[in-house]
Amino acid sequence: MTIAFHPDIATLMAFSAGSLEEPYAVVVSTHIAMCEACREQVKRTDLIGGALLAAEPGAALSDGALDRLTAALDAADVAPAPVAPRSDVPAPIARYLPDGIEGIRWRFSGPGVAVADLPSSKAAKGRLMLLKVAAGRKVPEHSHGGQELTLILSGAYRDRFGVFASGDIADHDEDVEHQPIAEPGEDCICLVAVDARLSFRSRIVRTLQPLFGL
Amino acid sequence: MHAIVMGSAVTSPGPDPTADDPGELVRRVAEARDRAALTALFSLFAPRLKAMLLRLGLEGTQAEDLCQEALLTVWRKAHLYSPEKGAVSTWIFTIARNLRIDLLRRQSSRPYVDLEGIEVASDSPLGSTLVEQSQVVARVTQALSALPDEQREVVRLSFIEELAHSEIAERIGIPLGTVKSRMRLAYDRLRPLLEDLH
Repeated sequence: MTIAFHPDIATLMAFSAGSLEEPYAVVVSTHIAMCEACREQVKRTDLIGGALLAAEPGAALSDGALDRLTAALDAADVAPAPVAPRSDVPAPIARYLPDGIEGIRWRFSGPGVAVADLPSSKAAKGRLMLLKVAAGRKVPEHSHGGQELTLILSGAYRDRFGVFASGDIADHDEDVEHQPIAEPGEDCICLVAVDARLSFRSRIVRTLQPLFGL
Repeated sequence: MHAIVMGSAVTSPGPDPTADDPGELVRRVAEARDRAALTALFSLFAPRLKAMLLRLGLEGTQAEDLCQEALLTVWRKAHLYSPEKGAVSTWIFTIARNLRIDLLRRQSSRPYVDLEGIEVASDSPLGSTLVEQSQVVARVTQALSALPDEQREVVRLSFIEELAHSEIAERIGIPLGTVKSRMRLAYDRLRPLLEDLH
C-alpha cells in the first residue's frame, strides 16, 4: 500500500503524548495500523515521552506498594502474543465494527452520501463516524468546526489537495475549505473525527448540516 | 530541565551486566520470571510514573493503582518487549499512557491499539539496539533541554500535562496555530536525533 498523505507531525506528537481526544486517537491509531512509516514516526515521538518520564524526579510511594505488587504477580497470567485480527477492517476500529464493513447501518445524509456514527465514550469530546460517498458523487463544500481528521478506508476521493486513497489521511484545521469528490468506480468510505462541540455553532452548523445530518 | 539518567550505563560487555540496566531487567523478567528484576524495575519507574500521573491531575490512590497496573503489565508482557522497540522508559511510558486513557474512558473501546499486534510484518532497521538504552534517554533529555523555551514549553504541556493543543493555546494565551507550529519546530529540531535513535 502506498500512502501519500500522513497526519501532521503535531497531530502525531499529540497522539504520542496521549492528549488527543478519543475520536481523533482512533483515526490516528487506524492510520498507524495501515502505515508503517507513521508506526516508525510514532516510535520516535514516543521517545520524547520516555525521556520526560525518565527525567521525572519521582514521588514517594505509599508503604506496602511493593508488597501489593508482588502479591498480585501470582495471579497475573503472561499475556498471549497478539494475533492478527481476522476482520476485514484495521484492528483499531474492528471492535467498533463487529460485523465488518458489510454490517454497517448507514444513515442517508444527502444525495450519494451516507454516515454511520461510531460510539465513543461519554467523556470524549468530538465525534467519530464513517462517511460513505457514492462513486463519482460530491460531498457538499464545507469548512470545519475545529480539526477534521479523515482516513480513507476504501475507494478514493479527489479535492484541491490531491487524490486520497486507502490509508491516506487528511488532517485539516478549521480554516480549511474543500470539496471532496469520490473517484469513479468505487464508493469511498472514510473514517472521520470532527469536533462536535464547535460544529453546532453559527455558520458552521449550516455547512455541516447537510453533510453530517446534524 | 536537566538530564537525570536512570540506571547506570552499561559500558563494558561482560558476564555480569550492571544490575539496574532496565533492558537487562526486562530480559530477566521475560526469560526467568525474575521477581527481583521486576522489583528493581518497580523501584526505578513507579516513583517517576507516580510523579507524572500526579501532575496529570490523578489523585494519589489512583496514581498508585495505575503504577501497580503498569508494572503488572510489564510482568505480563515482558516477553513482547524487545530493545529495538525503544528504551524501557519509552515502553513503560506508552503502557502508562494507554492505561491512563483506559481509566479515563472506562466505557471506551481503547483508542490506542497495541502496536505489537501490527508489527509482525515490519522490516524496519534495528535502530536503538546500537545505542545503549541509558544513552537514548540521556540524549533525548539533552535535546529537549536544548530546545528554545517556547518550544520546550508546548512539548512539556503536551507530554507531561497531556493538554490538548487547544488547551495549551488557552493556557499560555497563544493561537492554536502557533501551538501547532511550535510543536512542528520542536520536532524539526529533535528529528535528526530521534531518527538516529530509531
